[in-house]
Amino acid sequence: MTSVMWEPRQAPVPDQPKEPRWWQAPPRPTWEEKPSQAGLAGKGLALSLAVLAILFPLWIVVVTSLSSRKTIDEAGGLVMVPKGITFIAYQELLSGGQVTRATVISVLVTLVGTAFSMTVSVLCAYGLSRTGSLGHRWILMTLLATMFFSAGLIPTYLLVQTLGLTDTYLALILPSAVSVFNILVLRGFFTGISQELIDSARIDGAGDIRILWQIVMPLSRAVIAVITLFYAVGYWSAWFNASLYLNDQDMMPLQNVMIQLVQKQEAPVGLGQAIKTGQLSGLAVQMAVMVMALLPVAVLSPFVQKHFKKGMLTGAVKG
Amino acid sequence: MTPNSATSGPSRRSFLASTAVAAAAVAGGVPLLSACGGSDSGSREGTTSDKDAKKILPAYVASDVVTPDIPSKNGSAVGFTSKLDLAGLKTSVPKKLGKGGEVTIMSPFWGSPPKGDNPYYRAMNDLIGVDVRWQNQDGNTYDQKLGAVLASSDVPDVVVVPGWNMGGKIPSAIISKFADLGPYLSGDKVKEYPNLAAIPTGAWQRSIFGGALRGVPMPASYVPNIVPCYRQDIFEEEGYEVPESADEFLALCKDITNAKAKRWACGDMKWTAFNSFGVLSGGEKPLGWNVVDGKLIYRIETEEFLEALEWTRKLFAAGVVHPDFELGKSQATDPAPKFAAGEFLIWNNDISTWYGQTASQATQNPDFKIWGMDIFGHDGGAPTLWATNPANIFAFVSKKASESVVRDALAVANVVAAPYGTKEYMLTNYGVEGTHYTVKDGVPIKNDKGNNEVINAYVMITSPAATIAHPDFPAVAKGQVEWQQRMGASTKKSAFWGMQITEPARFTNLSNDLEQLEDDVVRGRKKVSDVQQFVSEWKSKGGDKLRDWYQKILDENGSAAN
Amino acid sequence: MSHSTVPRSRAEAKTKTPARTPVASVGATGPGGERGSGKPSLRLRFRRDRVLLLMTLPALVLVLLFNYVPILGNVVAFQEYDPYISDNGVVSILNSPFVGLENFQRIFEDSAFWNAVQNTLVLFFLQLVLFFPIPILLALLINSVVRPRVRAVAQAVLYLPHFFSWVLVIAVFQQLFGGAGVLSQLLRQNGYDGINIMTNPDTFPLLITAESVWKDAGWGIIVFLAALASVSPDLYEAAAMDGAGRWRRMWHVTLPALRPVIALLLVLRVGDALTVGFEQILLQRDAVGPGAGEVLDTFVWWNGVRNQDFSYAAAAGLVKGVVSLGLVLAANKVAHLMGEQGVYKK
Repeated sequence: MTSVMWEPRQAPVPDQPKEPRWWQAPPRPTWEEKPSQAGLAGKGLALSLAVLAILFPLWIVVVTSLSSRKTIDEAGGLVMVPKGITFIAYQELLSGGQVTRATVISVLVTLVGTAFSMTVSVLCAYGLSRTGSLGHRWILMTLLATMFFSAGLIPTYLLVQTLGLTDTYLALILPSAVSVFNILVLRGFFTGISQELIDSARIDGAGDIRILWQIVMPLSRAVIAVITLFYAVGYWSAWFNASLYLNDQDMMPLQNVMIQLVQKQEAPVGLGQAIKTGQLSGLAVQMAVMVMALLPVAVLSPFVQKHFKKGMLTGAVKG
Repeated sequence: MTPNSATSGPSRRSFLASTAVAAAAVAGGVPLLSACGGSDSGSREGTTSDKDAKKILPAYVASDVVTPDIPSKNGSAVGFTSKLDLAGLKTSVPKKLGKGGEVTIMSPFWGSPPKGDNPYYRAMNDLIGVDVRWQNQDGNTYDQKLGAVLASSDVPDVVVVPGWNMGGKIPSAIISKFADLGPYLSGDKVKEYPNLAAIPTGAWQRSIFGGALRGVPMPASYVPNIVPCYRQDIFEEEGYEVPESADEFLALCKDITNAKAKRWACGDMKWTAFNSFGVLSGGEKPLGWNVVDGKLIYRIETEEFLEALEWTRKLFAAGVVHPDFELGKSQATDPAPKFAAGEFLIWNNDISTWYGQTASQATQNPDFKIWGMDIFGHDGGAPTLWATNPANIFAFVSKKASESVVRDALAVANVVAAPYGTKEYMLTNYGVEGTHYTVKDGVPIKNDKGNNEVINAYVMITSPAATIAHPDFPAVAKGQVEWQQRMGASTKKSAFWGMQITEPARFTNLSNDLEQLEDDVVRGRKKVSDVQQFVSEWKSKGGDKLRDWYQKILDENGSAAN
Repeated sequence: MSHSTVPRSRAEAKTKTPARTPVASVGATGPGGERGSGKPSLRLRFRRDRVLLLMTLPALVLVLLFNYVPILGNVVAFQEYDPYISDNGVVSILNSPFVGLENFQRIFEDSAFWNAVQNTLVLFFLQLVLFFPIPILLALLINSVVRPRVRAVAQAVLYLPHFFSWVLVIAVFQQLFGGAGVLSQLLRQNGYDGINIMTNPDTFPLLITAESVWKDAGWGIIVFLAALASVSPDLYEAAAMDGAGRWRRMWHVTLPALRPVIALLLVLRVGDALTVGFEQILLQRDAVGPGAGEVLDTFVWWNGVRNQDFSYAAAAGLVKGVVSLGLVLAANKVAHLMGEQGVYKK
């Protein structure tokens, strides 16, 4: 290994020795031509438009979640111009301790489930990544078919029940542990890794496990980060399996509790339903749930992006 | 709380869904000849003849524990308008009927269920003498859970099934998985459970599935439940008169609408149009049939049906309907804030909207006043209304349950069916005084704990005969009951009213697309002639055979029409 | 230092696959150069690959258990299945009468079914043309941003809409573009008629596509970013040294790096052609009527699932599965012809 990993900031720029501050662009590599003003402006405009198209509706959601029923009723629904801010919707969600307990459950299910899914998927993807290996096409077809043929609700329920998984957390993990799509994407990246590198490792006596662990995995950090995220998001936002397989309310994960809290606001009179006479609006609760759903994304996003740095995966390959 | 509102489901979404599902709903019943056997192997189509039904129906013994302020008339609910007097509460269940056993109950739940061990459940279980274990399930996905649970061999002791979840093969499941309660309730046996004996016979008749009394019904008023509610405060302010004919209504709507100022007259008035033009009920398929000039006809074959659609189309075409309602029944936006904002002034919805909107706006919008307008006859005369079913939510007991479990389940129902003004009613509907609610100036007010714990669950099992009581807004309760009584005077029963009828499977999809076609017509995407086309196809594809099938039931069973 | 050169032609780009490494082309012939030398015996191959097979085992077991076992229940497509005639749903399968292809007949004879298929395909093609390229373009755009903070913030914001529920997305669109929405009121205040974009059957496919783009295009960039992360900057430098400008570098270095991913996702998307946003469309179908708004999945939901007509739903599912599998295999074939690996290699 003669070359080191390439980092833009390590390029020699004599008149600016300090690291660029965050608002400054890092220096471009010497070989890169100066960007044209029009190009920069065009890029900036496109990106700003995309971001604005998202932030404006997000603004409506956030403002509505912070509005009282009076404000919402005056606006006839979603609020665009805030009139006083109240946190009662969030208080309603966080009071009662259900959300805390459900958050812990969801975090644990997500962590355990994602770890399990990733292990199974990475192993499977690697096991299928060698062209010409025995039976890999048959296995691929077997997996692929499940993407298009689905089982009905009743057979699946009866299976989970027969396995004794109802009212256990395994029911939230095992039936949805394998995503064939994710395995295919992983495999797609694995097959792109230099075969020469793998072959030379094999000549050095490395077995498949070691090759996977020491060569393939480090070279696939970006896609592994992506698939981890896909699985984590899947576990985090799943709710239907819980509503089907769990009877014990105390076991419910966060999404189900959130859905229940929204329903509680929606339901009008009849059947002993509570009527909220105060300042709390069901719509605000609904929007607050949405905002809270975005929080983990905002928190986790940097961790995933870390793995997307340009060219970060190539250093090890060169010799 | 208005138990009668239960007919149309408790949440906005399921309320809307209920009409769609109800339109496709089929209910249980074995054919007449094998009714006595009531065996599982037999066909499950048809209904149970009057004569057979009489043998298994519970006796009716009116409750005299409490006298309502407004007695029932013309099929209305009973009304209570006086202040609540805690000291004067009566007792309708003098001794515990429960034997202390454990009963698991699965029931739909809208909202977040409380912990299994909470003061409300404990107090109820103490009063009943039964250890009820609740399996509260998400009400919006209940149909799927229900379908799966009933297909397993592990059915809870008691299962609550609302009518709108009775689609497809569920009636078949009801017949094969649930116990015959006849041995415990038929005839005078019901007198052991006095509050159940006070449930009107019509509601019990609806509980006959497959020739046996299988359900405990939640009784409801049969007066149509869709009320055209309007913003009385704005009407008074602007000097609008409540319209008394279809033409007046349209003229008023044009007067009200000013799109530039973000004001429209009404929501989708299709249901009111059906009532106003005297179209046979579309709530459940058997109700849509009636004898006209000696011949059975279905609602969609009538002139009134087309007229009602044409009139609703006029409203949409005139631009007086709030644009959000063009989204159709799966609308993504809640009309309530728009109604509160005055974006539209007339909203036809379940009668519970009347009280619900009053209560929720009271504290922060004191000017807001919602009232129900009488359904106008389209020509300005009295309307012809068609009765809805007198029960639409049922509690069933598993076939595998032992006798003592059945008795315990009935003990639960007997407490829940206690009439307004009793200790049992207050506990069931408001919880424990001091813990869940306090009484101020004769008005019980639930606190947060009450709002979190005293919802759904027990009240899903059954209820007393249709009751309207709003101690906080007695004027609304009075208005609702009187509305029901006035409308009830114009309400007629169609040929198959109150019967639990299962159409043969081959007919169930016949009018599947009809509701959508109606919505397409009123929104101008299809023409009335398309409906006529649909009707003629409906006839040839099986509608005429279905008519013969119903005719046979009519011949053997007699008509319920009055 | 790298000894790569800028590929000058498509053919070269294909064999060199600069996204990988200069030696990636070796991999294309498979390990051990077995190709053309006659296959080793099954036993030898098993011994050679047993570790690989073992690695696929956990996933395979899970899929067999949780997918294939319940999929057997699809036999009810050939029955008039009543899950409740026996003590449990499995025994009921044995006791339900077989009706041959009657359920399939019911589906195929329904003109509404073909209408739904047509709508589905229109939406699929529209989304293929208008949706599929957008995440790629966004990924390239993001990738070209050099300021790390701008990049991080833009990326985080672009992900967010994916986590909105469809109900909310539609409510927001209604608020902005509905008949009583911001746009309509603005028009009315200026003396024009309001327009209701949300209920226009003619433009419905465009609306659905626009909503999908808004919600999921940002999330879709993530796989492409992962692919871009593996492009060696040396390749850019070498290309620049050879005189390739900005666009030529993108064409000859960046895009070839994305090609395998694009091909894989495209093949899978084609296989999923009959699936176009179930929840999104179910929520909006009534706004335009089934004529324009019914797609295959909502059709099955209305006619099978909602009525608990399990046999009908299973039959529709089987039809869809067979067509989808055929599509994905055909798409894979096309990918092979274009020199891509797709889902699996020949």
